[in-house]
Amino acid sequence: MYRIRFHGRGGQGVKTASRILGRAFFNQGYAVQDAPRYGAERRGAPIFAYVRASRTPIYERGIIQRPDCVVVVDDTLMPVPAAAILQGCEKRTLVLLVSDLPAEQWIQRLHIQGNLICLPKAGEGRESPFLWGMACVGAVARLLGVLSREVLSDALRQELVTLDKAAAEQSSNTALDSFDEMKATQIQIKESSVAAAATYPPPHWVDMAMEQGPHTAPAIYAAATSEKLATGLWRTQRPVIDHTICNRCWWLCSTFCPEGAIHVDSKGFPQIDYAHCKGCLVCVGQCPTHAIQALAEQEASRLSGEER
Amino acid sequence: MQRELLTGNGAAAWGARLARIEYLPAFPITPQTEIIENLSQWIDGGEMDCRMVTMDSEHSMITAAGAAAVTGVRTCTATSSQGLLHGMEMLYTVAGWRAPFVLINVSRGLAAPITLEPDHNDILAARDSSCVQLHCSTCQEVVDHMLIAFRLAESEGVRLPVIVNLDGFYLSFTREVVQLPDSRTADAFLPPYPSDFSLRFRPHEPVSAGVAVLGGSTYSYFRYQAHLASLHALPQYEKICLDFADLFGRQYGPLEEYQNKDAEYVFIMIGSYATKAKQAVDSLREAGWKIGLVRPRILRPYPEAHLCKALQGKKGVAVIDQNISMGKGGILYTELRSALYGHPDAPLLASFIGGLGGRDIKEEEFFEMASVLKQASADGTPPPPRLLYTEEEMREMRALQTIAGAIPVAQGDSR
Amino acid sequence: MKSTTDFHSKRDLPQKHILGTGTPMCPGCGGLAALHEIYDIMGEKTVFVNAAGCMTLLSVYPFTPFRGAWLYTAMASAPAGAQGVRDALDILKVKGAIKEEDDLEVIVLTGDGSAYGMGISATSGAIDRDLDFIYLCYDNEGYGNTGHQYSAATPHGVKTATSKGSRGYPGFKKDLFSIWAAHKPAYVATIIAAEPLDLAQKIAKASSLSGPRLLLALAPCPTGWSFDPSLSIEIGKKAVQTGVWPLKEYVDGKVVHTKIPKKRLPVEEYLKLQGRYDHLFHPHRDTKTLQEIQDRIDAYWHKVTYS
Repeated sequence: MYRIRFHGRGGQGVKTASRILGRAFFNQGYAVQDAPRYGAERRGAPIFAYVRASRTPIYERGIIQRPDCVVVVDDTLMPVPAAAILQGCEKRTLVLLVSDLPAEQWIQRLHIQGNLICLPKAGEGRESPFLWGMACVGAVARLLGVLSREVLSDALRQELVTLDKAAAEQSSNTALDSFDEMKATQIQIKESSVAAAATYPPPHWVDMAMEQGPHTAPAIYAAATSEKLATGLWRTQRPVIDHTICNRCWWLCSTFCPEGAIHVDSKGFPQIDYAHCKGCLVCVGQCPTHAIQALAEQEASRLSGEER
Repeated sequence: MQRELLTGNGAAAWGARLARIEYLPAFPITPQTEIIENLSQWIDGGEMDCRMVTMDSEHSMITAAGAAAVTGVRTCTATSSQGLLHGMEMLYTVAGWRAPFVLINVSRGLAAPITLEPDHNDILAARDSSCVQLHCSTCQEVVDHMLIAFRLAESEGVRLPVIVNLDGFYLSFTREVVQLPDSRTADAFLPPYPSDFSLRFRPHEPVSAGVAVLGGSTYSYFRYQAHLASLHALPQYEKICLDFADLFGRQYGPLEEYQNKDAEYVFIMIGSYATKAKQAVDSLREAGWKIGLVRPRILRPYPEAHLCKALQGKKGVAVIDQNISMGKGGILYTELRSALYGHPDAPLLASFIGGLGGRDIKEEEFFEMASVLKQASADGTPPPPRLLYTEEEMREMRALQTIAGAIPVAQGDSR
Repeated sequence: MKSTTDFHSKRDLPQKHILGTGTPMCPGCGGLAALHEIYDIMGEKTVFVNAAGCMTLLSVYPFTPFRGAWLYTAMASAPAGAQGVRDALDILKVKGAIKEEDDLEVIVLTGDGSAYGMGISATSGAIDRDLDFIYLCYDNEGYGNTGHQYSAATPHGVKTATSKGSRGYPGFKKDLFSIWAAHKPAYVATIIAAEPLDLAQKIAKASSLSGPRLLLALAPCPTGWSFDPSLSIEIGKKAVQTGVWPLKEYVDGKVVHTKIPKKRLPVEEYLKLQGRYDHLFHPHRDTKTLQEIQDRIDAYWHKVTYS
């Protein structure tokens, strides 16, 4: 059975990409299971999707614990613990990542034992995050080695019917170009077998005892614990305030920030809490002196790294 | 202690009064309404220090009850039948908050067809809500169990809503002699509402209650803790019943066992109809039968060990269900069968469905059930489930259907 | 307690934001913007009683943005939860268990799905009972938390997940302001995060009163209305400038408009920023529907001016 896990953010076409792959397998005659999975978070927050394909009926369900391939549509997700991208990855797992950084750098940084392939974010056919998802599905289809260009092409047509014609064509082309691009590589995604009953890691169940006290109710007894959540990691664009242009107005940016992530310092200057700013960029549009500009997150972190 | 002639509704109201409830969100529904009318008169007359508010529905009523209980006041409310079902979403919700209050349910059959008369499908629909269920058989039990219910709900380790159940008409509107606990002894038995619950709303005490969870692990923990708290309510109930007996002299416990010690055959029932079974037991004993009655007073948590012990070595048990799980059968029967499964000397079980929508169960029907049970036990083969329904009833039903134009005259006019 | 005089100019607005960051609301959420502006003023001596909606997920165990109290109920009965909390606090005050100065303000927090539909019976009941509470509705004009299907608050012609046809939603937005006002409550006001001074003054006024008080906030929703999150406040401003969202209040039986646009912008200026109205402009301009929408707004303001 093939087990492929997609990671991305809401709005990056992760569900569509997984469905295209599922459809391609189906067109090729496989038994298929595909499913998206999302939590409470919204646009910009991490989501997953799963695809299973097999020549025999599929009985597994839900989360893929030991993936053959992990697809990461957006490399800014790599450090997000909630995304749990490398969970269950083994030496045989292929990691496919949309990133402008070289593959070696990721392999080193994350101590990856197996193969890792990077697809650049920039370039023709990669103009939007949705297209990154399309590039991924094209690449995976080729790396599997069992799906023809024709079944992928059919699958793209079938699954992209809700898009308008131009967008569907552009998405299709991005996927197929990426399929062709992977012809050069020798790397292949290998099927794996189901878990063996003869030897298995015990689940270590506990005998849950009755507990008394307030902690047994679903209630939180502390203030503003949400601040422990680094929603800044959702950000793909970063607002940056130029304090030489800021005229310390009545702090429009601070009032209007839906998150309450801009506070005013003792000198009257607004300061952005990047741990929590989700990058909506309301402040950029509302600043009367245009003192706030938006930078691509990676560019911004590179620049701030240089300044340090 | 004062002897009074009280209806079941009157007894429930007296129980709430003696418990010194502080808050009563209410909504009228037959056959419960008399309870809130009684309480409202006492409140208006200055005899009770309680705030009553008539809500816009039972859904709202149960929400307000749970919210007040977690804010920190002793709360009571009452409903019946359709009302219990209308509030069902919130019954599960407030139990999940771990809100301790008492809900009186006056059992009444469920629509459709709508009826005013009792059976137990309403209260059994709340079976899995994590609310504790206490089932009363007499008006005396009602008033006593109101006090017991508050002690149980407010016990540390339980902290769940407790439902006190009584049958519509057969208890709600039926006057019986009741020994009314005096208020000083009631106060000794039931201390004021605990003020030290950590789940409460006060300034400088941040609390976000009833919050969402993501993921099955967190969900499982809270749900299972509610289950464990419910299980804990069983020994806690026994303990509270002992305290009650010390102060008031009346003995209660998870089961009422009547003539059960040497019995070979047993009736199992809950609620007010169980006293009819007692009478049948007396008559059968006079005719030489070794027969008894076992009546669970607490149904959630389920007194499984108590039942297994009480029924151990019996030849046969007739479970009389005043309810029906469509597509399965009697709920008490099903639960008892699962409880006895695998016990080496488990008795033969026979299932009878009777008393739906207040249909009477006649004495001769108890005798007939005993005979069927005895025969089946001798044969070693459980009889098929039996609805208590006579030829005469069937004839009358046909006549009604004829008038309703639902069947042709010739076929229906069998008289 | 705040008074209306605390907010003369925008300089008087709170600079300190006390609602916790890190919530799972969408980037650019107009409802969250309104909530944090309100929370900054109301403070932590509050009990928020939440109805099912987007903001159910403000508190997901073990994370909450609140510094005071919060209770999640269900979709239909948040005002009943507020009743239970309010009554219990009053009982405790009478008994001396809590001091008058330690009292908490009880605030229902609800989306339009509950406020305009499932919760309206419980709400009407609470107003009838003269419940002392604030009712804050973030109105994003659809069932946002389930993917933005149309609700009773959805305006005419809008495309939602359940009105995807070329004519959009055939119904009209329910007038919740008037429904509330018909109950003769203590206070009813419309607000919007994009007008923070007007909002602050109304919050201050609402907190100085007692009885049932509605604060109805239009909540531009990037996800459901299909616009870039950065436009959230801009669209809110346009809603006021085009007269789509009249800022007004009801006190003592009278409705007063608190901000009358001097020269109303054409409604298209508001509509064209949102994907949910795209079908009125592309592929062909739906002049008839656009004119109908404009006419209804003109008729509203005509009545305001001449009555």
